[in-house]
Amino acid sequence: MSNTPPKMTASHVTVHYGTKRAIDDVSIDIDQDEVVAFIGPSGCGKSTFLRTLNRMNDTVASARVEGDIRLDGHDIYAPDMDVVQLRARVGMVFQKPNPFPKSIYENVAYGPRIHGLAQSKSDMDGIVERSLTRAGLWAEVKDRLSDSGTALSGGQQQRLCIARAIAVDPEVILMDEPCSALDPIATAKIEELIHELRGRYAIAIVTHNMQQAARVSQRTAFFHLGTLVEFGRTSDIFTNPRQERTKDYITGRYG
Amino acid sequence: MSKSLVAQLPTGPAEPAQRVPTDWTTGAMQGRIRRRYAAERRFRLMGLAAVTLSAGFLAFLLATMLWQGIGGFTETRVTVPVDLGAAKLAVTPAQLDGRGADLALAGAGLEGIVDTSASRAYGKDGDNLLSGGAWLTVREAIKADPSLLTRRATFDLPVASPIDVAYKGKGAPEAEAMVARLTPRGVLSRSLNTGFLDSADSTDPTRVGIWGAFKGSLLTMLVTLLLAFPIGVLSALYLEEYAPRNRWTDIIEVSINNLAAVPSIIFGLLGLAVFLGTFGLPRSAPIVGGLTLALMTMPVIVIAGRNAIKAVPPSIRDAALGVGASPIQVVFHHVLPLALPGILTGTIIGMARALGETAPLLLIGMRAFIAAPPRGLTDPATVLPVQIFLWSDQVDRGFVEKTSAAIIALLVFLLAMNGLAIYLRNRFETRW
Repeated sequence: MSNTPPKMTASHVTVHYGTKRAIDDVSIDIDQDEVVAFIGPSGCGKSTFLRTLNRMNDTVASARVEGDIRLDGHDIYAPDMDVVQLRARVGMVFQKPNPFPKSIYENVAYGPRIHGLAQSKSDMDGIVERSLTRAGLWAEVKDRLSDSGTALSGGQQQRLCIARAIAVDPEVILMDEPCSALDPIATAKIEELIHELRGRYAIAIVTHNMQQAARVSQRTAFFHLGTLVEFGRTSDIFTNPRQERTKDYITGRYG
Repeated sequence: MSKSLVAQLPTGPAEPAQRVPTDWTTGAMQGRIRRRYAAERRFRLMGLAAVTLSAGFLAFLLATMLWQGIGGFTETRVTVPVDLGAAKLAVTPAQLDGRGADLALAGAGLEGIVDTSASRAYGKDGDNLLSGGAWLTVREAIKADPSLLTRRATFDLPVASPIDVAYKGKGAPEAEAMVARLTPRGVLSRSLNTGFLDSADSTDPTRVGIWGAFKGSLLTMLVTLLLAFPIGVLSALYLEEYAPRNRWTDIIEVSINNLAAVPSIIFGLLGLAVFLGTFGLPRSAPIVGGLTLALMTMPVIVIAGRNAIKAVPPSIRDAALGVGASPIQVVFHHVLPLALPGILTGTIIGMARALGETAPLLLIGMRAFIAAPPRGLTDPATVLPVQIFLWSDQVDRGFVEKTSAAIIALLVFLLAMNGLAIYLRNRFETRW
C-alpha cells in the first residue's frame, strides 16, 4: 500500500468561511487503491475538507483555502490547473441524491458528452452501459433508460449518481455521506458497490455511520471542531484509538 | 481540549412530574373546536365568493363586449339597381385593364351615377342612404366583369353610418324613418364586413378597419419581444450567476425593482426624448413604440427571471459542477432550462401589459390618424389600444360598435399571444 506514492496529498490545509475558521491545519493523504473514511460529529469540517479536494468550495464566495493539495504531485490550486478537468478527474457523489431531471441515459451520458469522451453513439451506449453496470444499476434500468432519473427510488437515484460520476472515468471519487438519505438495504447496496469500486478508484467517503466507516474503509480520519484528531488504519482507530476524544466518539459516548 | 468529550453530553432527564390527563370534553374545549370549524367554513365561503365575483365580472365584461362589438364585424347593405348601360360611361375596355382603371372610372363620374341610381330607386334622400365608399364596390365589380358597363344590374351596396346604426338598433329619427320605409321593401340586408378586417382607420365609420392597428400592434410587440426577452434573460442570468454581491449590485437590484413600478407614461416621455429627440427616429413608428415598451417590459422579465433562476435547486448546480461542467455549461444545460417556465411566465405578464399600453405610445406620436396599414417598422402606425382610445373619442354613433369590435380584436390578440407562451412553457416544463 505504501510502495506507490499517494494519489492525493493534502498538507496543512486551512479553510476559512469569511472570518470563521472551518478547518485548521489538516494533513491527509489518500492512496491509489484504498477507501479513506472521514468521521466526526456534525460541523467538524469533514465535508468542507472533502470539498476542497475537487475545489467545490470555489463556488462559495467567502471560502478561502490555504495549504497544499496535490493530485499525482500536481498542486490543484495552482493557476495552471483547469478546475473543469480537475472535477472530471476527481468525481463527487453528494449527500442527497441529485440526478438531473432528465432521462437515466442522459444523466450518465452528460459528463462524457461535455468532455467529448465518446466518438459515436455506440461508444456512448457502451459508456452508459458500463457505468450503470459498475454502479450495480444496469439490470434494474436497462429496459427504461429513457425514463426520468428522478422517477427512481432514493437508493437507485444514488447509484445513478455514482454511475454518473464514474462515467467520466475519474481517478478519485469523493462521497459526501452518500447513504444518509437511504434505507438500510439501499445503504448495504452502496457499501457493496464501494467494495467493488475499490482498487479501480481512490475513494474518500464522509460518513456519520461508524459501522459503515469500519466496514468500507482501510483508513479512517477522525475530525473534531475543524481539526484532524486522529488518522490511521481503520482497524487501529476502532480497536485501539490513541486519543481520548476518538475513543469517546467511536464508543458512542459522544455524538 | 483536554476536557473529555463525555463531559459535554447532556445529563439524563429530570424526574418526570405527575401526569395529569387532559380533559377533552369540557365545554371550553368543545367550543374551541366548534369555533375552529366555523372559522374554516367562513374562510372557504369567502374564498368562493371572491372567485365567483371575479369570474362574474369577467363574464359580464366578455358578454357586453361580444354583444356590443359583434355588430362591428357586420355591415348593412341596400340593394340598388344601377343602369350602367344607359349611363354610357366614357370608358373604353382597354382602359379597364391595368393601373389606369380606377382613375378612368372615377373620372367618368361613376360616383355620381351610383348616387343618382340610389335617388331614383329610393326617393330624394336616396343619395344620403349610401356610404361614401359605396361606389367603390361598383367599381370593383366593373373591374372584375367589364360587361356590366353595357347593361343594367343590381348591387348590394354598404349604407351610410346613420342608416347602419338605425338598422342595427337605435339611430337618429330621420334615419329610423328611412329604415322603417325601406325594411318592408326587403332591400336592406346584413353581411360580414370584410373591410373591417383588412383596412385601416378612416373618418367614416362604415369604412374603418382594424387591420392597420392590428399590424401595428404585431410589429410593435415583435420589436418589444426581440429586445426585452434576450436582454432581460441575460441580465437576470448575469445578476444571479456571475455578479458579485456588493453595493453596486444592490443598487442595480433596487433600481430594477423601482423601474418595474415606474408609471408607463414616464417611459413614453423617455422614448420621446431619447428615441425621437436624440436619435431622430421617425414618429409614430412601430420601432419606436417597440423600443419604448421594451424599456418597460425588461424590468418585469429581469425580476421574474431572477426569481426563477433562484428557485433552481443548488443540488443540480453541484451535480453539474461535480461531473466537470464549466460555469457556462451549468447555466445553459441545467439552470436555464429549469428556469425557463418561470421566465416565460414573467414574459407573458410583461408582454400582456405592453400590448395593452396606451399612454407611452400617445407620447411618441402613435395617436396620429393613420389611414394605411404600416408596411414596415419605420412606417407610421397605430396600435390596437390607441385605436380603441381614438374611436371611443369619436362623436359619430357608428364608432361605438367599432370600438367594441376593436376591443374584441385586442382580446383575441392577447389570448393568442398568451396561448402561445403557455404552450411553450408547458413544452419546456420539466416533470420532476
